[in-house]
Amino acid sequence: MKSSTKWILILLGMAVAASGAMILWQRGGGQTAPVARILRDGELVEEIALDKVTASYSFVLHGSAGSNTIQVEPGRIRVSAADCPDQVCVEQGYISDGTVPIVCLPHGLVIEIVGGEEPLDGAAG
Amino acid sequence: MGRRDRGAGRVARLALLTAIALTIFLVEAQLPAAPIPGVKLGLANIVTVYAVFALGPRDALMVLCARVFLGAVFSGQMMTLLYSGAGGLLSWLALCLLCRLLDRKQMWLASPVAGMCHNVGQLLAAAGVMRTWAVLAYLPYLVIAGVVAGLFTGVAAQVLDGRLEKLRK
Repeated sequence: MKSSTKWILILLGMAVAASGAMILWQRGGGQTAPVARILRDGELVEEIALDKVTASYSFVLHGSAGSNTIQVEPGRIRVSAADCPDQVCVEQGYISDGTVPIVCLPHGLVIEIVGGEEPLDGAAG
Repeated sequence: MGRRDRGAGRVARLALLTAIALTIFLVEAQLPAAPIPGVKLGLANIVTVYAVFALGPRDALMVLCARVFLGAVFSGQMMTLLYSGAGGLLSWLALCLLCRLLDRKQMWLASPVAGMCHNVGQLLAAAGVMRTWAVLAYLPYLVIAGVVAGLFTGVAAQVLDGRLEKLRK
């Protein structure tokens, strides 16, 4: 075998091996548990680890502008009732990943999920 | 056929290769996409690899540019112009280097390197378009995919070269 052939084979092998190792490393380190973060006017009010929820429960969040009833279930969360005029947050229903957060604009309330499965890849295409 | 061949024969040969590459490219575009964006066999690169070794880097570059541009026009996805343009140019550079190191019987070995470079170039273009280095998370997948696909297209180009050699006699 010519030496140039050998070197190219060795370099290719190294690149593939390094890539394989990186994939394994990414797999091992990634995938954090999904956590719902409830923010009012950009400030964190409540953090709920959705994978630790075993039974569904709900609670009411009172703010200066109005109140929202939050319902938590294993792996998902929603606003079940709100005294805001438009009810957009209620109609959105449950969210379970980071794709779209729930926003109640009149009350300045945002519920977002971080971690968990990756949201849809918007860069495709 | 000499490498210094000029005139109508050369134009015809380059046009033929471009047409073949474009056909392969468009047929492959009809196949369902892989789960990872940017991963595909890249069958049209058979022609690029063959052209670099058989006709020389300059002619290969012309075929490559014509194929990438027309492929983007015909498939209606102008974004591929950027991605496959960047990937194509980087793999062409790699092939230029490799065709000095390797002889014609070893184009199967040059192709995986070119495939890897193609995917790296494509990823750099994507990083530029989206203005984020986060896409580099795909790098290991694309490197492996490039090497595997490159090996496949390289062997195909090698077999093709052997057949064409027989045809000429």
